[in-house]
Amino acid sequence: MLLDNPQPQDLQSEIAQLEARLHDMRAQLDASECPPASHAGEKTPWTMPSDIHKHDNICNTFRPSLVRSSSLHALLLLSDSALPLGSFAYSSGLESYLAHNKPLRSNPIASFHSFLKLSIASIASTSLPYVLAGYREPDTLETLDNDLDASTPCIVAQRASIAQGRALIGVWERAFRASFAGPGATDTGAEVAVTAMDDFSDALKSSFGEDNEYDLGPKGHFAPLWGVVCRATGLDLQQAAYIFVVNHAKAVLSAAVRSSVMGPYQAQNILASQTLQDTIMKRIEREWDTKVEQAGQVVPALDLWVGRHELLYSRIFNS
Amino acid sequence: MRQPAMPIRSPFESSIAKPGQGTVVLSLLPPNNPTLTTLTYKYPLKLVPRGPGFVSSPEPSALPNSCPSRPVHLYLLTYGGGLLPGDHIEVSIQLEPRTRMVVTTPQGSTKIFKTEPGSASGINVIKGHRKQMPANQHLADMSQQSLDVRIGRQSALCYLPDPSVPFKNSRYAQVQTFTVDAAAKGDQRSSLCVLDWVTQGRTSRGENWNFRFWRGRNEVWAADAKTGKNRLLLRDSVILDDETEDLDGSDEDLHAEDAGESGLNSHSGRADTPPPQAGLVPLNVIQERTRPHGVVGTLILSGPVFDSLGSYLMHQFNSQPRIGSRNWSSSAPSSAPEPSLSTKGDVTWTAARVRAGFVLVKFGAKDFETAKHWLGGLLREEGSIVREFGEEALFCL
Repeated sequence: MLLDNPQPQDLQSEIAQLEARLHDMRAQLDASECPPASHAGEKTPWTMPSDIHKHDNICNTFRPSLVRSSSLHALLLLSDSALPLGSFAYSSGLESYLAHNKPLRSNPIASFHSFLKLSIASIASTSLPYVLAGYREPDTLETLDNDLDASTPCIVAQRASIAQGRALIGVWERAFRASFAGPGATDTGAEVAVTAMDDFSDALKSSFGEDNEYDLGPKGHFAPLWGVVCRATGLDLQQAAYIFVVNHAKAVLSAAVRSSVMGPYQAQNILASQTLQDTIMKRIEREWDTKVEQAGQVVPALDLWVGRHELLYSRIFNS
Repeated sequence: MRQPAMPIRSPFESSIAKPGQGTVVLSLLPPNNPTLTTLTYKYPLKLVPRGPGFVSSPEPSALPNSCPSRPVHLYLLTYGGGLLPGDHIEVSIQLEPRTRMVVTTPQGSTKIFKTEPGSASGINVIKGHRKQMPANQHLADMSQQSLDVRIGRQSALCYLPDPSVPFKNSRYAQVQTFTVDAAAKGDQRSSLCVLDWVTQGRTSRGENWNFRFWRGRNEVWAADAKTGKNRLLLRDSVILDDETEDLDGSDEDLHAEDAGESGLNSHSGRADTPPPQAGLVPLNVIQERTRPHGVVGTLILSGPVFDSLGSYLMHQFNSQPRIGSRNWSSSAPSSAPEPSLSTKGDVTWTAARVRAGFVLVKFGAKDFETAKHWLGGLLREEGSIVREFGEEALFCL
C-alpha cells in the first residue's frame, strides 16, 4: 500500500542518494570531531532508522543543502500552532468529558491523562486511516471526504472537522500553493496532490448549500485534506501521520490549559514526555495499514461525550 | 472502495448455499400480497417467517394509510442461540418495492461463544471460506456475521434485534450493509430502522468486557440502478479490541507493553476509578474505553416511515436538561450535585440528525436491562413503530 506509488527504481535511487549523503556526513563528522552539544533532531520519532539526522550533531559547518533538500521547512509550518486552522476552538470532547465526570475532578491530572490516551486512540482509529489514504492516493480525495462524512456520527465532531478542513484549504490556496505547487516538485505524487486540492476546492465552491437527499456534495473534512496537503508540501508519510496526531495532542493539551486542568508548564511536560511519544507511535503503527473501510471508533464512550457537548450549559469550546 | 455486490439470486440456490448462508426475497404480488418468494438457509442459520408467514389475506382496513403492504415478520435464528468460533453467518435479504419487513431474534441475546486459542480447525470451519480468512489463526477462528439488505423504494425494514453478548475470550466481527434506492425521492425513499448493540458479556459470571475482539460495522449505501454507482451514506463502526493480539502472544512483549501503556497514566493511578473487582485487577483496554457503561449501542433511522420517530428522538435529546446548569428558581435546597450527570437514569445518549436525513442515536447504559427499558420506553411512547409494524417489532425490547 505504502509503496504503491513510487516506482521501485525511484526508491532505490533515492536510497542510494541518502546513503551517499549519510556517508558524506559521517566522514565530515569524523573530520570535525565536534562534541555532542545539541540534541536537536535526535530521537525525533518520525525519522526513519536510515535517516541522516541520526546522531549527526549539528556541527559548526552549516549545510544549506541539507536544510533545503529536507522537508524541514514544510514540517515546521504545518506543526506550527499559529497555523490558522482555528484548532484552538476545539477540545475534542475534553470539555464535555470534564462536565460528565465531575467526581474525577478531585484528581484532574489523572483524569486528563486517561482522557488524552483515549482521545489519541480514537483519533488514530477514526481519522488517521483517512490521513494516510489522502496521502497515498490524493486523487481519491472526494471519495474519502464523502466516506469520512458518512462515518462521523455526530454533528459536533462533523462541524469541528469541516471547519478545520476548510480552513486548511484556505491556508493552502492563499498561502502555501504559491510556494509548494511550483514546477520544482520532485515527487509526481506532490503534483497529483496539488491537482487534487485544486479540484476539490473547485468542487467545494461550486456546490451550493443544501444537497438534495442522497446526492451529497463535498464537505471538506480535515483528515483526508491533511494527508493531501502533506503530500503536496513534500512531507513523507511518517511525518504526515505523526504531525497529525501530535497536533491533535497539542490541541487537547492546549484546551486542558484553558480549562484550568493544568498549567502551561505541566502541559509542555506531558507534550515533551517519552510516554506521549510512545503512545503516538504505537497508535500510528497500529493504524498504519488500516484501510478506511476498516476505520472505526475504538472508544465508544468518546462519541457520547462529544455528542453531548451540545447539552452543556456553558461552553468555551466548539467541540 | 467496497461495493456491496448484488448477485442475481437464483431460486434454486438452496441446493448450493454454503453453511450459514441464507437468502430471503420479499415481493409484493398482486393485488397486494407480500410474499416471501425466496427463503433459503443452511445450518447453523435458520430463518423462520412468523405465523402464517407466507400469504394470508391482508386486511387493508387494518393498515394505516401510509403503509403500502402488510409487514412480514422474519425470525433470525442460529442453532444453539449463538455463534461458535469459525461460524460464518451470511444473510442476504431483498425487499422489493412497497414491502415491509420486521426482523427479530427470538432467542434472546446473540451469544458469541469463546474462541479457544489454536482450535481453529476444530469446529465449523467452513470450506471455501478459509481462503478469504486471514492467514492469522486468531482471525480464522473468529465468529462472523454479515447481513446484506437491499431495500427497494417505499419499502421499510425494522430490525431491532437483541444485543450481542460476547463471552469471555470470544472474537466476533459483524458487517451489516443496507442498500437503498438512490433514485427514490421524498416519500418514495426506502426506510430503515436498525439497532446494533453489544453488552459486556455474562454479568452473572462476572464478565465485564472480557472478550478479545468485537467489531460491529453498519453501512448504508445508496445504489443507483441506472448508473450502477454506489455511494456511502452512513457508516457506523465500533471496534472493541483488547489489543492483546499485537503482542504475538509473547509474554515478554506483554509486560513491556503493560509498562509502556501504563506509563501515560502511571501517576494518574487507578485510584480515581475503583477497579471492577478485588481492587487488584487493572482495567483492560476495552473496559477503559467503554467505562462506565455495561452496554453500548447505536440506532440508525432513515426514510419517511421513521421520520416522525427520528424527530421525536431529536426532540427528546434536545430537551434533556443542560449539563452544569443550576436551577435558580427552585427554593428547595436541592443543592445536591445533579445526580451523576454522565449516567442520568443510567443511560447516556446522544442523537444527531446527520446527513441524508439520517438520525443516529448512540447510547451507553449500565446494563442490558436498563438500555432495553429505556429504548423500549422511548419507542413505545412515540408509537409509530408499533403502529406501522405491530407490537412484535419491539419483541426484543
